[in-house]
Amino acid sequence: MNLLAALAGGFVGTLVISTLLQLATELRLTRVDIPFLLGTAFTEERDEAKAIGYAIYALAGVVFSVVYWTVFSALGQASWWLGLLFGLLHGLFLGAVVMNILLPAVHPRMGSSSSAANDGSLIEPPGFMMLNYGAQTPAVSLVAHAAYGAIVGWFIAAAG
Amino acid sequence: MTDSSPPRVDGYAPIRDYAAIGDGRTVALVSRDGSIDWLCLPNLDSPSVFGALLDARRGGRFVLAPDGPFRVERRYVPGTNVLETTFRTADGAARVTDALTLPGAGLPPLRELVRRVEGISGDVRMAWRFEPRFSYGRVAPRIGYRQRALIATSGGEALAVSSWDAGDPRIEGAAAAAEFTVSEGGSAMIVLATATQEPVVLPGRAAAERRLADTIEFWQGWTGKRRYEGAWSAAVLRSALVLKLLAYAPSGAIAAAATTSLPEHPGGERNWDYRFSWVRDAAFTLAALLSLDSDDEATTFLWWLLQASQRTHPRLDVLYRLDGGTGTRERELELEGYGGARPVRIGNGAASQLQLGIYGELLDAALLHVSAHGRLDRDSGRRIAEIATLVCSLWRQPDLGIWEVRSDPRHFTHSKMLCWVALDRALRLAQNAIPGTRAPLWRHTADQIRDFVEHRCWSEQKRSYVRAQGSDEVDASLLLSGVVGFSDPGGRRALGTIAAVRRELADGPLLHRYRGDDGLPGGEGAFLACSFWLVDALARAGRVDEAAQLMDELVSLGNDVGLYAEEIDPCSGAFLGNMPQGLTHLALVNAAVSISKAAA
Repeated sequence: MNLLAALAGGFVGTLVISTLLQLATELRLTRVDIPFLLGTAFTEERDEAKAIGYAIYALAGVVFSVVYWTVFSALGQASWWLGLLFGLLHGLFLGAVVMNILLPAVHPRMGSSSSAANDGSLIEPPGFMMLNYGAQTPAVSLVAHAAYGAIVGWFIAAAG
Repeated sequence: MTDSSPPRVDGYAPIRDYAAIGDGRTVALVSRDGSIDWLCLPNLDSPSVFGALLDARRGGRFVLAPDGPFRVERRYVPGTNVLETTFRTADGAARVTDALTLPGAGLPPLRELVRRVEGISGDVRMAWRFEPRFSYGRVAPRIGYRQRALIATSGGEALAVSSWDAGDPRIEGAAAAAEFTVSEGGSAMIVLATATQEPVVLPGRAAAERRLADTIEFWQGWTGKRRYEGAWSAAVLRSALVLKLLAYAPSGAIAAAATTSLPEHPGGERNWDYRFSWVRDAAFTLAALLSLDSDDEATTFLWWLLQASQRTHPRLDVLYRLDGGTGTRERELELEGYGGARPVRIGNGAASQLQLGIYGELLDAALLHVSAHGRLDRDSGRRIAEIATLVCSLWRQPDLGIWEVRSDPRHFTHSKMLCWVALDRALRLAQNAIPGTRAPLWRHTADQIRDFVEHRCWSEQKRSYVRAQGSDEVDASLLLSGVVGFSDPGGRRALGTIAAVRRELADGPLLHRYRGDDGLPGGEGAFLACSFWLVDALARAGRVDEAAQLMDELVSLGNDVGLYAEEIDPCSGAFLGNMPQGLTHLALVNAAVSISKAAA
């Protein structure tokens, strides 16, 4: 399994997932904005937050490709459809655990069950499967992550 | 300034009762009875979330007022676009401060509407009701709780209402409501935070208070930089603030008005969407802004106009979207209409009309810019020269004129005068700002146009210019002949036209635009901008006292907070048409400046 191919797949997959999510927001299917959510953990400046968020998101996309590569290596096989399956699992975990529980717990500007009247501005939390950002959000997220997984899987499989 | 709680007719407040608040992206209209009946999100030209202005039953609104009879006093916090409404009841008085805050301290919501209540005396029982309807009333959302806020969502849009000391809101279907009592010295706050295509930011009270204070400070700082020393300074500065409200900060475009489809005739069908930027207003805008030392806004607006018109170069569209786009397809909405005036239109079909006057407006604006700043960039100069050359081939065509009539094209006199203005300004600009290789053609054509107007658009019988070639009607736009420099403002032809316009179009201090056919059924009110143009024409003609007297009368016709709509009913004084109307306020500023100059 070629690690360089995984990194390249992660890079391309990140471009695709970002574009798909932005497309979905432009089509008013969802209000999810992951770079905004990530960036506002570091700054209150909107534009700065989006720039930081995109940088983190791009980095995470490449890092996750290494995780995929590790799992493919352990299984001894890689393909686009296996990647797609991983992507779906990845999307499910993200929506059910990371965004629903972990992010509100550590994000300094996100509302959570412990938010109180003396808090400043808080960002609306994503909720389970990010449903707070629109009923189609889970579907959008799963499709985007499945696409990411399929691309990473294809790159690794193609490199042999 | 004070009166009892105003009556609504079939759910509609008089147009005169609205004050405007805004943040450079969008504008909300607040009625004297505390109801926000108009708010489009995220931008001025987006669909409404509060649209009771156009459908009292289905449009949506956000009411905050005493829970019982009251009297009202209103004002803007001096030098700002922040509104203060004081409600007086039998039990006491409370003041509501309404603002669309500007981004500042803390992580701000995408758009934020703050409604702060302060107890002035006694105990006042207040009630509020949040009743959003997305997409021009089409979508009644489900409202739920999230964290400490009420949230309503639809597609990519979300509204969140946070409140402090303002009662315990209860959800009633697609609305939420609460009651509370505010006592002397006490306060409450309700904040509407909005999001488009992103998670909504739920503001904290302290941060929202800080943004409100910062917003007041910004507006007062902005107003403090405006230089106007003449008479009617309060009206002029209020007009400047209205123009700043209508300026769409992301692009620099200035919207003609904040609303769509407020009728020009009660119950009539002359209902148009004015949430676009008209090239027609360009020179008026530049003149008004430059005279108020608003160089930044003037430059930004001209730059935006040149950018937007690049898409149609060398032709100009009559109007452009606030983002500079050209897609303004007109369609009708299934709304009841203000006071039953249907149709309710969004988009504007006038965009693709042929209006020759706009070429003169653009070149006049360019000359004003160059006069103020001394230069124009090379590319803009080249394009302006090409536009002037286009005028030489267009001017002989009939058009639909400054009033965008929907009857057959005609040879409107004002349009021809403005074609002359285009070439006159091009010749002047060619001295130092634009390429002058076609100057001989421009000069020759300008002479031809002057000859056409003086011979075919002048009536010896009326001793006036007439509305169009061969017409025997007059038109208030002809008052601009002296203002734009086509004729000597104090000369026989300008004075004769002033007299004829007053004779045939005046109704007290007010003027109608014209009396003839325009291709639409029904009548309309007096057109306020024309009345200010009359002041301008009189001042330039040296009849300063007469101009000042008329100006006094017109300034007294503004509403309680100094705003004007497009038209006014000469009999009842009721406002008609879209509100607040940029052209009216532009004309007010320019008329006041003309009197000041003439009197100096």
